[in-house]
Amino acid sequence: MDNLIEELKDKLIDILNLTDVNPADMDADARLVGGELGIDSIDVLEMVVMVEKDYGVVINSQEVGEKVFSSLRSLAAYIQENRPRDT
Amino acid sequence: MSIAPVYIAAAGIISPLGNGLEATERSLATGSCGIAPLSLFALAQNDPLPVGQVDGPGDGPDLPRTHRLALAAAGQAMQGRESPPDAVIVGTTTGGMLESEELLRAGVLDGARYRYHGLGTVAATIGRKYHCTGPMLTVSTACSSGAVALALALSMLRTGKAERVLVGGVDSLCRLTYFGFHSLQLVDRNGCHPLDKNRQGMAVAEGAAMVLLTNRPSEDPLAELVGAGLTCDAHHSAAPHPRGAGALAAMELALADAGISPEDIDYVNLHGTGTRENDLAEARAVGALFRDPPPLSSIKGATGHSLAAAGAIEAVVASLVVRNGLLPPNIGLERVDPDLHLRPLRKPEQKDARLVLSNSFGFGGNNGSLVIGGPGSTPVDPAAPHRPGKDLYIHGLAAASGAGMITATMEGLLAGRQVAGCVDVDLAAAALGAKTIRRLKRLPRMALGLARSACDDADPAVAPASVFMGTGWGALSETNDFLERLFATDERFPSPTDFVGSVHNSPAGQIAIMLGATGANITTSGGDYSFEQALFAADLMIGEDETTLVLGVDEYHHHLSPLFDPSVGGDAAPADGGGGFVVSRTRASSRCRVRLLYYGAGSAGTEPLVGGCGGPAGLQNRIGLVLAGIPAADQRQGEEQLRQFLAQAEIGAPVIRYRQLIGEFASASAVAAVLAATLVDRGDAGDPVTMGQPVDPHAGILVLGLGATITAMEFDRP
Repeated sequence: MDNLIEELKDKLIDILNLTDVNPADMDADARLVGGELGIDSIDVLEMVVMVEKDYGVVINSQEVGEKVFSSLRSLAAYIQENRPRDT
Repeated sequence: MSIAPVYIAAAGIISPLGNGLEATERSLATGSCGIAPLSLFALAQNDPLPVGQVDGPGDGPDLPRTHRLALAAAGQAMQGRESPPDAVIVGTTTGGMLESEELLRAGVLDGARYRYHGLGTVAATIGRKYHCTGPMLTVSTACSSGAVALALALSMLRTGKAERVLVGGVDSLCRLTYFGFHSLQLVDRNGCHPLDKNRQGMAVAEGAAMVLLTNRPSEDPLAELVGAGLTCDAHHSAAPHPRGAGALAAMELALADAGISPEDIDYVNLHGTGTRENDLAEARAVGALFRDPPPLSSIKGATGHSLAAAGAIEAVVASLVVRNGLLPPNIGLERVDPDLHLRPLRKPEQKDARLVLSNSFGFGGNNGSLVIGGPGSTPVDPAAPHRPGKDLYIHGLAAASGAGMITATMEGLLAGRQVAGCVDVDLAAAALGAKTIRRLKRLPRMALGLARSACDDADPAVAPASVFMGTGWGALSETNDFLERLFATDERFPSPTDFVGSVHNSPAGQIAIMLGATGANITTSGGDYSFEQALFAADLMIGEDETTLVLGVDEYHHHLSPLFDPSVGGDAAPADGGGGFVVSRTRASSRCRVRLLYYGAGSAGTEPLVGGCGGPAGLQNRIGLVLAGIPAADQRQGEEQLRQFLAQAEIGAPVIRYRQLIGEFASASAVAAVLAATLVDRGDAGDPVTMGQPVDPHAGILVLGLGATITAMEFDRP
């Protein structure tokens, strides 16, 4: 789980171009959207694409999205619960 | 002060509701719906989503679908009319995108195949067909484009700059918009249900409408264009202001411009796209404007959202409403969203309607509202005072080139050195915060950098309230990256960020947010003359006490620039950049005056140019230096035009071919304009720049654009 959180930090910094953010400064429990990072609705959609592309996890409703993207930890947990199992 | 009415003399329309006025009205009267699953192009994944696809417009000789749609509408508006229009104004966002996408996916590298890619080629194609020799302008303000085009035409006619303007909007369906809006999760899989409690979004659509506007008493006109209001939310790149502040302001301005009050409106044609956010914001704005709203509806449940065409299509529908009294129903509505507090029309209703308000809102927070009225509805003495006709004065300057920002660029040019090259975009964006530019690629970074720098150069107490930006090719990096990822992932993972960034008016919308500029926000795109178009639009639209930002900027993209821009890719090194100006009508403490003296078709030759510049005597008296812009692709034609101009004007002023110094890119004229303003401001034309030829330090400088279009800007200190 912690590894996944660290991996997600790097991915978010990359796809959202958070050039002024260090992974170490990202709090896994802080509010992800509308918080200090300046992440907004378009970023959420970009994260939805990433989650599907890289983890095979589809987030296709706003209600689910709001819960999943509330923090890095909730995002990691959702991915972990829903990603297709390796055989 | 009275204003002569502006008549909608004739109109043409082609949309998912049919081809022509009669078919459109029949569809509206029967409440039919034109939304169906996409069939225009094949998809690699998934079932086709519902769209508003046009049946037609028939095959054309080699022209993109957008152009053919526009020609179909223009043909109806010009039916039986001999006289050419004095100007053509088109709102469009797609241009030749549908065809370019296919070529790019196939890896076609022959630039000739992309010759109709540019947005400006739509207006040029219409202009050529109807022998227009005047301005052919293109506005690209996303989903408000059609309404903005009509607002510009209205101003041209009121100020006497034209007697007949053929104006409208067009967009064809293409992968960029189909997948782009889908990636933003703004598309309703179950059709389009504006104002419905369960609405899930829009249906991307296509279509065209063109109207012939005239200020001459017209025999049996369809309607009158009574007023227009343009604003910008300055809030977010893709989402509307939650309370509809910009939408409300646009409607209020349109009513004031028309000299009427909310109670005079008999019907409101809503933007009503069917997205949750738009409909809610618009409903709040409507609720704030009208104590008791008149009958209203959105037709997008029937047509889908045809983007740049929508404002023009709905202006034509509004004309039909005032002419025939048939109020169209809000198709797709099952249960009205109670949060909207609106009572949209559920069925077609026959009712006399004298004045109609029509809304169009778009990405970049662009809002346009039009007032359309029946015969005699233009008040002879409207409350709105009218355009003073005063000149524009420059108060702040910015430039970016391969040499650096304004100081390095001007130093180089004044020393007669080449500054052509690609802008160091980190340098251009150095004054901008990391969060501001996080999602922005090359073009918007340069544009915001220029805007910041021009404002810093002017009196910082006077912030521009409006933004006029010209760009020949728009955000190429975002466009390229969107399509590249779309194709590379077999259409599975289009980027919402790149889609929002790819629209031509995205940089100007970002500038508005940065500056809090809530006035008009207009992006023009006409190839090598895009900056001149922005200046043209600014001169038309800005009021007496308004400060505005005018800029021209283009990015070089290694893949797309050589394909799209016929002047790029030859001997000239890659180059980009631009220039920005803070202007107002206040002469006091200005650097210099700028006047767009002439804008016309290259085919008209140089005699009207000489006339527009005040004739040979005027030119000889005023002009000390000529900066001539001849795009590489138009070398022969441009040189011949220059030779003729100099012979006809009989002026001996030195001539600098500025593209040799500044580079081959569409907005090179904006950098030349900054050079001219700098020289006039210094009162010293500098020997090196003129290769040792003496220049009268108090004379004016003429910046000519030559080739397919002929333009003349004069910079001086009167």
